[in-house]
Amino acid sequence: MNKGKTLLNSDSSRKVFASLLSIVIGLAVGALVAAIVGLSKDNIGGKGIWDGVRLIFLGLLSTGREAGQLTWGFNPSSWGNMLFRATPLIMTGLSVAVAFKTGLFNIGAPGQYLMGTLATLFIALEIPSEAVPPAIIWLLAFLGGMLAGALWGAIPGLLKAFLNINEVLACIMTNWIAANVVTWLFDISNLKNVAEGTKTGYIYKTTFNNVATSKMGLDKLFPESQVNGGILIAILIAIVVYIIMNKTTLGYQLKACGANRHAARYAGIPDKRNIILSMAMAGALAAGGASLYWLSGNTEFYWITYQALPAAGFNGIPVALLALNHPIAVVFSGIFMAMLNIVGQQLTTLTAYNEYITDVVIAVIVYLSAFSLVIQMWLGKRKAKKGGKTV
Amino acid sequence: MQSEYIIEMLNIRKEFPGIVANDDITLQLKSGEIHALLGENGAGKSTLMSVLFGLYQPEQGVIKKNGEVVTINNPNDATALNIGMVHQHFKLIDVFTVLDNIILGAEDTRMGFLQKQEARKKVEELSRRYGLKVDLNAKVEDITVGMQQRVEILKMLYRDNEILIFDEPTAVLTPQEIDELMATMKGFAAEGKSILFITHKLNEIMAVADRCTVLRKGKYIGTVNIADTTKQELSNMMVGRPVQLQVEKKDANPGDTVLEVKGLTVPSKIHKNDAVKNVSFQVRSGEIVCIAGIDGNGQTELIHGLTGLEKTSGGTITLCGKDISRGSIRYRSETGMSHIPEDRHKHGLVLDFTLEQNMVLQSFQSSRFQKLGFIKNDAVRAYADTLIEQYDVRSGQGPVTIARSMSGGNQQKAIIAREMDRNKPLVVAVQPTRGLDVGAIEHIHKELVAQRDAGKAVLLVSLELDEVMNLSDRILVMYEGEIVGELDPKTTTVQELGLYMAGAKKAEGGK
Repeated sequence: MNKGKTLLNSDSSRKVFASLLSIVIGLAVGALVAAIVGLSKDNIGGKGIWDGVRLIFLGLLSTGREAGQLTWGFNPSSWGNMLFRATPLIMTGLSVAVAFKTGLFNIGAPGQYLMGTLATLFIALEIPSEAVPPAIIWLLAFLGGMLAGALWGAIPGLLKAFLNINEVLACIMTNWIAANVVTWLFDISNLKNVAEGTKTGYIYKTTFNNVATSKMGLDKLFPESQVNGGILIAILIAIVVYIIMNKTTLGYQLKACGANRHAARYAGIPDKRNIILSMAMAGALAAGGASLYWLSGNTEFYWITYQALPAAGFNGIPVALLALNHPIAVVFSGIFMAMLNIVGQQLTTLTAYNEYITDVVIAVIVYLSAFSLVIQMWLGKRKAKKGGKTV
Repeated sequence: MQSEYIIEMLNIRKEFPGIVANDDITLQLKSGEIHALLGENGAGKSTLMSVLFGLYQPEQGVIKKNGEVVTINNPNDATALNIGMVHQHFKLIDVFTVLDNIILGAEDTRMGFLQKQEARKKVEELSRRYGLKVDLNAKVEDITVGMQQRVEILKMLYRDNEILIFDEPTAVLTPQEIDELMATMKGFAAEGKSILFITHKLNEIMAVADRCTVLRKGKYIGTVNIADTTKQELSNMMVGRPVQLQVEKKDANPGDTVLEVKGLTVPSKIHKNDAVKNVSFQVRSGEIVCIAGIDGNGQTELIHGLTGLEKTSGGTITLCGKDISRGSIRYRSETGMSHIPEDRHKHGLVLDFTLEQNMVLQSFQSSRFQKLGFIKNDAVRAYADTLIEQYDVRSGQGPVTIARSMSGGNQQKAIIAREMDRNKPLVVAVQPTRGLDVGAIEHIHKELVAQRDAGKAVLLVSLELDEVMNLSDRILVMYEGEIVGELDPKTTTVQELGLYMAGAKKAEGGK
């Protein structure tokens, strides 16, 4: 059999194709919804629908509107903002993917993200930058955030390992505990932003203490955007995660425990330790996403979180699903999800539609990702007619 | 005109990439006969049955029922033709009751509500008629493997199947249960049901089958009348060369004590009583000590206590002069124990890993396979290739085959390759030949004897009386968690062994 044919028939290419197919269908359904909404509303009209549909597919390439017509081209601000927003998504996506690979469902990413937020902001704002160089504070805040997430993630791991409590339940509980702890601790802190006085309920940006992630030259590439070096750090971490999971004895053990805890135990692999470790790693990654997001210095944290969990945490699940839990693919799916976010923004500013259309797209994609096994099977069956299964 | 054959599979050919699984195979099942399908692991038996069940479509050949060509595109078509199958690995839902499992997929409903009363009556009637004792209200997870199999059989009967396929049905049964099953099968045949019996156990074929079709490496070798053949002839047909059915071994030459177990007690997970009660024994280098007994008399727990998979509540275990009673699993195995586990799917393999990943399951942390925590892929691949070659582990894609896709016999060979190559002074082998064909059994028996002759201490747990009598140098019989007798296979008889196993006889002190 020649190589090209093997590639087409191989399992992994089938998986990639299934993911791409769900993206295309997702966008198409989004366009369909836009059309239906447009037809039922008087203020949109045929041209409005056409603009909306084009933006759903190509929103990233939109440069605005001139003389009533959409204009297209390279929009550095859109690209930069996409990469900025992708950063936490990649990290929470990695978090969920690592747990999945080791047989655990980490639905606790939002809680871990919040604990990362808490530790990062406290460290970044409480250590005076007059006394300690900001770069050191940055590093401490980043590592401190990840450590906090690791400890928080380890709790469901401990419960699972020693008491055999389902990690999904424990994660949901720890999410809400985190939400309340974070609200309470910020409430009694002196970090509430009173300096600007324009809005309430926000914590100082880290730039208040002169701490912010280096731009690493990305602001030259994508001017007028929020992008910073965080995206490069996230990509680097994705590569490290890939290497750990696929090239090291640690990854081997974690995957063995995930795939068959009994066999791992039989071979003398400490199964309990590995379950805890894998949840701690997942926690550290999710929290690292929070650290990179807040350390950008661009954004301020709304501290009254006890009623809502951060979407960045939950969105790690579709990011990981779409990437089929492959760490490198998570980078792309994270960027893709962020792109949908930009598309939503463009829809809101440039048309009569709002950004919720993209929520439909994301929902359809997530739904289809769950179906990706069915799609793979369908693809496999088509090939099976020529003989495509091993004994 | 009524055909002589109820089911015919004529000139079936099925290819997979790189392998012809079935090459021009013909199988003709007469109405009311017990027809054995014999072949080694990987001979194409399962593929042929999958074709019959519509899971695969053959490239060539036709299937006929009562002389008429039928097309079977999926298992529903097969069910509609009254073909039923007991799979080697049962297809039951653990948390459902026996009755629910039997009616599943063929439930009676009235206005959307389940009607179980009729079903219960029908199942009870079937159960009485064929002597298939089951507890309809018990959950499947709580009943024995033997009873689970009876549930599977009742499932077929409940659906009024005429053609019953048994895929390796005795692999998981105790000797008594095997006898019962054989009687049941004969009863079915006497009633006119046609039975296809997939196996590689020659004794069973000789005992119940009327005719036997033999496959080897995907090819049809022949069909013989059991009355006109012998075990030796069948095994030669199956393996393609003369096979030794009897283990050949010299007298044992025991040396120093390698394993010393004193007063070992292991609590039961199910009952309040201890599963293993105050058991003491020794295994010396250069001997094979066999723990015989009927399944469920504490052998599993004894081995789990010994290997560290379960906590013990008393006693000491000394291995190579070191007290390992409180040691971790890793410490025990590093101190000098290799372990061929009872359940190869649960403990022996990570089924979703590749063959090569499984080969290093015990040793991936040795400096041979890792450097600074990074796995040396080349070393792993080379090692796996060597073991595959040396132990003749057959698989679709060599070292990168997913373990789940391999046949049971080759999975077991992979485990044995891994454990033997670790070269530890004590070899613990629990039912190492369960579910394997003669060729593989011969290989494994030779290997265990070779280990003994190389000065290893071998502790064997077996439910097969033949294996116990042939292989061991000393026999310890376990009954209800205690060692009730120590026998010398040279001076004892199968009957006497049976009495000890059934608890009817008990030696004083039982060393």
